[in-house]
Amino acid sequence: MLNYALLLYAAPYSHQAALSALRFADTVVANGHRMKTVFFYHDGVHNASALMAPPQDEVHLADGWRRLHHEHGTELLVCVAAGLRRGLLDVSEANRHGAVSHSLEAPFALTGVGQLIDAMLTSDRMITFAP
Amino acid sequence: MMLHLLNRSPRSTATYQDLSEAFGSGDHLLLIEDACYAAQVSASAVLEPFGGRVSVLQEDLVSRGLAARIDPSVGVIDMNGFLALTETHERCVSWF
Repeated sequence: MLNYALLLYAAPYSHQAALSALRFADTVVANGHRMKTVFFYHDGVHNASALMAPPQDEVHLADGWRRLHHEHGTELLVCVAAGLRRGLLDVSEANRHGAVSHSLEAPFALTGVGQLIDAMLTSDRMITFAP
Repeated sequence: MMLHLLNRSPRSTATYQDLSEAFGSGDHLLLIEDACYAAQVSASAVLEPFGGRVSVLQEDLVSRGLAARIDPSVGVIDMNGFLALTETHERCVSWF
């Protein structure tokens, strides 16, 4: 069994990369490996939006990531600097910045790039998906 | 031994050039997303630098209607095959 980490740079629905990453993550767990960490970076942070509401007959990417967390314990880490710039704020950051609402909730977590380095060092494989 | 993951169409000539220069003797190239267009018989010249060590992801090929137009020297693999390549190659670099 190998520990996998994914690095996702791509926004949902703008490019194929976010769906490719989710398809790969599902294949990882289906084959008995551990899908340890997904790190959302640059436009990839939009995958973590709590307000995502795609049509019901389309793939719900944020739900897909949440499912990986709930069923397989996958960490869903969102770069805080990339997230705040793009309006991805949890309750604490929304309060701190006086925003009218928040847009990011657990199991997604705002973290620094130090967590990305940690994921690289503690995983057997790091696979990047980008637009 | 490194796995190279490429998602750009062969129109991105600079990316293919950079990749060919970084491609080692034991390396393998997997074409995904729009890179599937490079696996067509008509585009096969762009894959010459990779010495036949090239695969293409079946589901991306099929979704682009390219399944019948693929160079026979390119191996077609599914998502499990993609995963298997990451198992056997300790490092994976993505080109985009």
